[in-house]
Amino acid sequence: MTVFLQSVISGILVGGIYALIGIGLTIIFGVMRVINFAHGDLLMLGMYTTWLVFSRLGIDPFVSVVITGPVLFLWGAFLQKTFINRVLNALPQNQILLTIGLGLIMSNSIMLMFTSDYRILTTTYSSSSFSLGGISISEPLLVGFLITAAITGALYWFLLRTDTGQAIRATAQDRDAAQLMGINVQAMSVLAFGIGSALAGVAGALISPTYYIFPQVGSTFTLKAFVIVVLGGMGSVIGATLGGLIIGVTESLSAVYIASGLKELVVFVLFLGLLLFKPSGLLGKTRA
Amino acid sequence: MKKMLAPALAALSLALPGTGHAQVKIGFINSITGPEAPIGENLTNGVDMAVEDLKKKGVNVELIKQDDTGKPQVSMSAMEQLATGDEVAAVVGPYTSATANAVAKLANQYKVPQVVPAAAKEEITKQGYDFVFRLNAPAHQYAQSLIDAALEFGKPKTIAFIYESTDFGTSVAAAGKDFAQKKGLKIVGDEAYQKGAPDYRSTLTKIKAQSPDLVFMVSYVADAILLMRQSREVGLKPQAFLGGGAGFDTAQFESEKDISNLVFSVTQWTPESTPAAQEFADRYLKKYGKKPTYHAACAYASMMIVGDVAQKAGGDRKKIQEALKAGKWNGIMGNVDFQDYEGFTNQNELIMPVIQYQAGKSVTVYPKQLAKKKAVYPFPGWK
Repeated sequence: MTVFLQSVISGILVGGIYALIGIGLTIIFGVMRVINFAHGDLLMLGMYTTWLVFSRLGIDPFVSVVITGPVLFLWGAFLQKTFINRVLNALPQNQILLTIGLGLIMSNSIMLMFTSDYRILTTTYSSSSFSLGGISISEPLLVGFLITAAITGALYWFLLRTDTGQAIRATAQDRDAAQLMGINVQAMSVLAFGIGSALAGVAGALISPTYYIFPQVGSTFTLKAFVIVVLGGMGSVIGATLGGLIIGVTESLSAVYIASGLKELVVFVLFLGLLLFKPSGLLGKTRA
Repeated sequence: MKKMLAPALAALSLALPGTGHAQVKIGFINSITGPEAPIGENLTNGVDMAVEDLKKKGVNVELIKQDDTGKPQVSMSAMEQLATGDEVAAVVGPYTSATANAVAKLANQYKVPQVVPAAAKEEITKQGYDFVFRLNAPAHQYAQSLIDAALEFGKPKTIAFIYESTDFGTSVAAAGKDFAQKKGLKIVGDEAYQKGAPDYRSTLTKIKAQSPDLVFMVSYVADAILLMRQSREVGLKPQAFLGGGAGFDTAQFESEKDISNLVFSVTQWTPESTPAAQEFADRYLKKYGKKPTYHAACAYASMMIVGDVAQKAGGDRKKIQEALKAGKWNGIMGNVDFQDYEGFTNQNELIMPVIQYQAGKSVTVYPKQLAKKKAVYPFPGWK
């Protein structure tokens, strides 16, 4: 029983961070219908920013979220304005090539600057945990999860309650109609891409104290983010949150009850199964 | 002017020690670029130092370096160039298991003596190639040394394996499982994992539930740190953590005091094994500004032997092969003797030293003749 609870708990904690990565991707997709293959690389940039401010300025990775978020927001907004915006009406394969290219440029530039060495952030709490009824809970993961929950909550509030948030949702629902209603869809796109990459960057910052950093780290997470987003339903923020948690827990449980080496396999089998029976994802609406 | 210079140079060359002998051409294949380049650099440094030292001893080596980029097919064409184009007397390298194994076949075919400095794959010296020699210990030694050491320190009864699902991980773990069974240890956990995952907690919890006496881990650079951090989190507490080299044998791991403390690892070489090794380590540190890894030491030792033998044999390949087979050397790697045993051909029987991290420093604790400090066993628990 302890083993079961333990793996559920650590699955949920890791899943929270997955969710954050997925939400960023789903917002970008929702507003622009662009599949961002550079998402993992934005996460990687977030990790390097965290590492830089930690090793040079001694700022704690969790505190550095307030730096990483805005930096990545600006970077994402810049990318949207200069590159993505030009291909919004292009063929999907062209959009995919563009984002893949951007991702490659980012990871290779980082490799040129910082070499391909693995970086490890060592904080005083990197491996600390506390025990709750025999279940050990990782402190950095828990803090990361709480920050994730707070950010997700704030994001929901922003999207549901503020004018700008509603404008973003309107753009996501129907770009042309939104424009006719006087919404500046260009600005909304820049904002959405900025928010998406800020979320990826923050996820990178939160994962840094418990993971390691290298220029190609993004690809693992890009793939994961896709599974999460498609599982939850493309464009659905709640779906992505749910998707992240499901993937986290599935990985964790299958590592225990099936085999550690096969946990990804289980995730993808589950994913395929869901797509067979509900092609639009858990909370996705099929578009007529 | 030229006429005067020539006899002057001739006189000079006579006056210099050793230049009376002709130069020997030796090939060196290594991962100079590519993903293995950071480790390859250590081998290049070691070989460069050896060439300098050989010169001081009066052995003039003309070193021809070839980059294999870590790819077997590139290493093979490099070997063909060295064997037929440059006509080298002998070859040192390549670094990785895959490339060294590919080159071994050609070395035997062209009858060019090859000394493999640091590749662990068992098969390399198990194919009966007369011209292929290996200085470092093969994969099964990793597990053997660690388990032997643990059995000497205490009385463990059960063991669990966690290893990455790569060539290196599975081969070391497979050899480990074999050997553990032979020694009467019960295997209570056998977990291959996909490297690069952020969360191994559930796997470790599962292992913890079996409460093994020994936990044997094989993993690459950064996962080693992650595995130990998460072991601490979930409170995995065996009698000993055994790390199968690689990620457990790096300066980065050593510096992570919180989690590396009292972990055992196995290595091909330690600076503290002999005074000569220590002297080499000091000189290396001075020259390159960092501590030598075992790769550097293995490459250095290989080059010293090959240079010496090749010069004495006058560059004749067959004579070099015979001399390598017959000879015995003593240097920074301890005794080197290429022998045929247990299905191996021309394999140096190297007992891999076991180290333990004690307060952020690696200390040799096994075998007895090399041990500098007593091992702390069993593991007292996490702080």
